[in-house]
Amino acid sequence: MSTLSRKVDLNMAIKIINAMIIYANDNELLPGSYAVVDEGGHVVAFERRDEAPAATADIAIDKAWTAATMKASGRILEIISKGQGWRLNVKHKGRLTIIPGAVPIIANARVIGGVGHSGGSAEDDLKIAQAGWTAIFREEGFNAEVEERLSLARKIAKEAIEEVNNRKLKPVTVAVVDEWGHPTLIYRVDGAPFGTLELARDKAWTAAAFKTLSENVSSLYSNMINATNWNERLTPIPGGVPFMYNNKFAGAIGIAGNMPEEDKNLAMDVIKKVGLELLG
Amino acid sequence: MEKYDVVIVGGGIAGLSVARELSKYKVSTLVIEKNEGFGKEMTASNMTLVCQGADSLTFRHGTLHAELNIKSIPLWPKYAEELGIPFKKIGGLGLIRDRIDFFRFMKMYSRAFKSSLKGEESYYIPKGSFEPLQFLDKKTLKDLEPYSNPKIQGALYDPNLAVTDPVKLAVALAENAKANGVEFLLKNEVKKIMREDEYFTIMTNETSVKGSFVVNASGINADRLAEMVKARDFSYIPVKGVLTDFDEDTSEVFKHQAFYLPSLGEPHIKAVVPLIYGGLRVGIHLSFTLRSDKEIPLGAVDHNLGVIKSIAPGYPFEKHIKKTFFGIMPLTNAETGWHDFVVDIPPHVPRWINIVLGPAGVSSSPMLGKKVVELLSTSGLEMEPNPRFSSSAKGGVKG
Repeated sequence: MSTLSRKVDLNMAIKIINAMIIYANDNELLPGSYAVVDEGGHVVAFERRDEAPAATADIAIDKAWTAATMKASGRILEIISKGQGWRLNVKHKGRLTIIPGAVPIIANARVIGGVGHSGGSAEDDLKIAQAGWTAIFREEGFNAEVEERLSLARKIAKEAIEEVNNRKLKPVTVAVVDEWGHPTLIYRVDGAPFGTLELARDKAWTAAAFKTLSENVSSLYSNMINATNWNERLTPIPGGVPFMYNNKFAGAIGIAGNMPEEDKNLAMDVIKKVGLELLG
Repeated sequence: MEKYDVVIVGGGIAGLSVARELSKYKVSTLVIEKNEGFGKEMTASNMTLVCQGADSLTFRHGTLHAELNIKSIPLWPKYAEELGIPFKKIGGLGLIRDRIDFFRFMKMYSRAFKSSLKGEESYYIPKGSFEPLQFLDKKTLKDLEPYSNPKIQGALYDPNLAVTDPVKLAVALAENAKANGVEFLLKNEVKKIMREDEYFTIMTNETSVKGSFVVNASGINADRLAEMVKARDFSYIPVKGVLTDFDEDTSEVFKHQAFYLPSLGEPHIKAVVPLIYGGLRVGIHLSFTLRSDKEIPLGAVDHNLGVIKSIAPGYPFEKHIKKTFFGIMPLTNAETGWHDFVVDIPPHVPRWINIVLGPAGVSSSPMLGKKVVELLSTSGLEMEPNPRFSSSAKGGVKG
């Protein structure tokens, strides 16, 4: 008997993202950011296309968060809040994103997660997000062709997940950021606590921001940085590794889920396995 | 390879409504159907209702769902007569349990009058094709339906609601279309479609044909068909609706269509419809599903039995169950519940028309064909009237 999953797992999230990318390509819509979150609103998978504006990343994630935690579509929230939804943004540090393109994932008569898309008009964002969640009702798989940078990030993530299994490590979150520290991909492996999510992303950000291993940041800049607490993303602990692509600094990878040293070794090995060079 | 002006994929109510309408013009048309007969899937598994009354007037204004249904209302009696299909106004009862129900029906009642009976409205219904609704008190309801639950406080009576035989309608449309020159290809499943500059090449398991225009009327598989040429500009969820039929004896028990308003947290529909050939059809247990899921969900039969028992207690319905079956319908905008039809040409694939109907699809049949003809003619298909068109000829198509 064919059944629907009762929760959003990584496979489902990746399927949803692929379906969204295919829909966007088929309809010649602008490339954007694609986010899938679980019931609690925490990212399970996130991807940003090469040509998508960097700022769409958090908009997509926050749309998905809004749909899952409000258990309603952005389109409905927009209407019931009579266009005044932005006033709610004194709450949740501005995360509430009451704009179409935020669609709850409903299965077995329950909201089990959310889908968010950002990058086009509100109308297009909604249609793409709908194409995403309806894909869980399709038997067939979806494989979208993606651009160079995203496809590299996918390779890194795939390799990292394989290595986690080979080394029998605890499930992790893998984050890949571009040279500016903006996320291009985040995958949270089934079983990884949601706390690893921001940790992985922030390790990658730290490595990209200082173009060095994340743990070096404290010593390089002495303890000044920690003391000033100048940026909430700053995470100078092992697990953030910057990499080169085509002899150029191209971004960083952040892994979280195990002991920091293990995360770091994993990240460094993955970079080599994929054929990239470490920075510096 | 045979070449046609229009190739319609799907021999259900959608494809055949279009085929028949096209046969009024000098256009070469082919209908491809994967089954041996017509209307075997969605067309065969629904409430058989023709939304002739307040129900279609309360569909979301501005949607195609509302437009096609409301404009179909005055067309139906002639449509049924020409095609020789049964069409019976049975009347519907919106059952009122409490004050809240009453206020909700008041809204429906006033909206029905406001919307479409005035000449200047966009969805105008000519006088005579719509009789006014009326509220019935408990006693009048009891006189009308002696078996009705004494807990029901009254009802909103809609005399316009009708039933038909959707499968018979599909077959009649096919036969009439055939008599007027439309060709048919049965037991052919479309496997691949290629888009060229001037036409589409459609490959089935048996043959290949060319079509200048393609109408995608493939029902629940409309998304897959559209994806073959990157023409999917819609999304939907397959919704499984489980229905239970009761035998002819039950015809005596209830004579009208009747329903309860949906309540919060209750995902299913509670309605009964007297079928045109006798017996009652009760449902609808709904669930979002994979379309390969062929099982009747646990509790669906109990739900349907519970519905009829709550409408007409005191009759041993459990001894009169004939069959329980399901249909799978596409539901668009499922996350908001604002279902709408899709009848459009995707912006990047000219000469391709997507049709997604779902609930109230059969009711919209008379207007659907006209809508597609309009789309075809605005996108460049020359449509001269077919002088030999006969509105009630039958062509003898197997189905």
